Amino acid sequence: MSGLLETKSLTIGYSQSAGTKILQQDLSLSIAKGETISLMGQNGVGKSTFIKTISGLIPALGGEVFIQNQKISALSKNEMARSMSVVLTEKPYAQNLTVLELIAIGRHPYSGWMGTLNQKDLEVIEWAINETHINYLANHKIFELSDGQLQKVMIARALAQETDLIILDEPAAHLDLYNKIEVMMLLRKIADQGKGVLISTHDLQVSTQLSDKLWLFNFNEEVKIGTPEDLILDGSLEKTLYLEGYGYDMMYGTVENSRKPKGNISVAGPDKEKFWTIQALKRNGFLVKNKADVQIDIRNEKWYILQKSGENVCNSISELLDLLKISYQNLK
Amino acid sequence: MISQFLEESKSKWKKLFLILTGLLFLFLIISVSLGSVSISPEGLAQYLISGTAGSDSWDMILSNFRFPKAITAILVGAALSVSGLQMQTLFRNPLAGPYVLGISSGAGLGVAIAIFLGFYFGGILDMSGIGRSWLLVVAAAIGSGMVLGIISLAATKIKDSVTLLIIGLMFGAASGALVSILQFFSQAENIQAYVIWSFGSLGSLSWNELSIFIPIIFIGLISSILLSKPLNALLLGENYAISLGVNIKKNRLLIILNTAVLAGTVTAFCGPIAFFGIALPHLTRMLFNTTNHLLLTPLVMIFGATLMLIFDTIAQLPGMEATLPINSVTALFGAPFVIYLLIRKRNLNYTY
Repeated sequence: MSGLLETKSLTIGYSQSAGTKILQQDLSLSIAKGETISLMGQNGVGKSTFIKTISGLIPALGGEVFIQNQKISALSKNEMARSMSVVLTEKPYAQNLTVLELIAIGRHPYSGWMGTLNQKDLEVIEWAINETHINYLANHKIFELSDGQLQKVMIARALAQETDLIILDEPAAHLDLYNKIEVMMLLRKIADQGKGVLISTHDLQVSTQLSDKLWLFNFNEEVKIGTPEDLILDGSLEKTLYLEGYGYDMMYGTVENSRKPKGNISVAGPDKEKFWTIQALKRNGFLVKNKADVQIDIRNEKWYILQKSGENVCNSISELLDLLKISYQNLK
Repeated sequence: MISQFLEESKSKWKKLFLILTGLLFLFLIISVSLGSVSISPEGLAQYLISGTAGSDSWDMILSNFRFPKAITAILVGAALSVSGLQMQTLFRNPLAGPYVLGISSGAGLGVAIAIFLGFYFGGILDMSGIGRSWLLVVAAAIGSGMVLGIISLAATKIKDSVTLLIIGLMFGAASGALVSILQFFSQAENIQAYVIWSFGSLGSLSWNELSIFIPIIFIGLISSILLSKPLNALLLGENYAISLGVNIKKNRLLIILNTAVLAGTVTAFCGPIAFFGIALPHLTRMLFNTTNHLLLTPLVMIFGATLMLIFDTIAQLPGMEATLPINSVTALFGAPFVIYLLIRKRNLNYTY
């Protein structure tokens, strides 16, 4: 296996004058070509420290990091820059650059003394712009961009650096659903071209739907490695994200309401309507069961409430909820 | 599509550089013809072609006063502007300038010590012109060189650029205090000599001094152009710059050394010329709407040189005997212009 990145019994943390603070130890992890990996864990567990350590920004407290079978301590800064690019959460300090100028800075490890770009550089820049579908932005200034556009531009800049490994810190943060999906598809495509993608994220959608593997960092525990589905089934993901107390529903990706249930309801109808009706009922503190005294039947985009006292018809979920609340209050 | 766009912008910038260089020469001509004695265009043309303007007094004025002064103005304008630009980008601070690390305060302290102590050792005021001006140059160079040494040492030890900035400010305050103490204990004529030095002057350099001044500034300007590439990477922030393979510590030291040599040399020969180094990078960014240092570095040099020539021409008060202090002229005419541009652009950050 050709590992793009490999860590061998790596210990990460900070050494301060007051003593060293070890965040994670004995990390033996590797990224292969074409792999997308999500690094997950709570705040303070060492995700950023890990990224800083493997990119050579801070020293390792123990163990070694290898990039394509070479120790990073033996690589020059320029060689590092040619094998690993990063997309950070911080915005670029200069806002008055054009998108094209910013992406061109990505060619820094390759361009000459004066930063002049040759034909190859131009081709790579053009390729990066095409891959990320930002041709229409090339002429814009950075301060004119939305968060989603800026994220794609920063990814294009990382692509222009032509590295086999791309590391992204929270690429989906601050993005709306549309932009998040676009960025996710883009990262998938980049990985399919044989690059390794490492993402540090809190986003379940990103981690479970995009990545081949998850690395779960926990406090005082060994790191968990596996496909997202395995880690969901054995409860590791739930544990890492500490969602147990809140009754996190791994199937639907929603948080169970901890309030005392108001009553049992069963729902029947077309899949889509049924799904969202159940969501609404759960949010409002009803328990959804297969059999219950109160039944909701969805037909022709109408909600029929069937109970012993009679039948009601509602035109929307909000009407349904109002009606149910009233009838349950009356019961008490 | 990209290469076509690049071609277009390249030809646009080429045109702009040609126009600016043309303007620089135009103002050079204007600057050397105006003054207490005006020199006719024909006389000047004749002087440039054959080496004589047709009259001994004109020849003397042109070769001994006007040209040295104009060359000084051009070099000082370019040097201060480019060092201001580099400091602003390095420290990510719009208030930074060539003197932000205490270079001019160090020079001021050196000069103050030379003037005030010189009084006790036989009196600097009695010295003849040449000896006295060289003494001041050496004193200022020692002063700024010492500050430069300490800051560079700190730069190799300290990770954070802002910490360096604060150390520089502290140096400025401390040397200012020492100068005040020296002034407190000295006599009126010494204080006057110091105050006149602190006004700044472009006209005190003869060819003798220029033979040292020109090569140092020239080397500094060339290094500035070579430092444009790492400065561009720094525009994304230090972490991005490191990920792009920039050796932050080395480049920071080089940038500091470069600006300190430029600003230190200017201060040693011409006194502390304030305002220009802070304001000019802003003016350039606002007028030409770019942050790309590959363009910005040559732009601030040419534009700074041109503007300094214009200010110097204004300071000469054409047709009159007196010359205004260059420090007052740059601030008096420059500040309203910067304010006007700021109000029009509304937000300084967007020009970064």
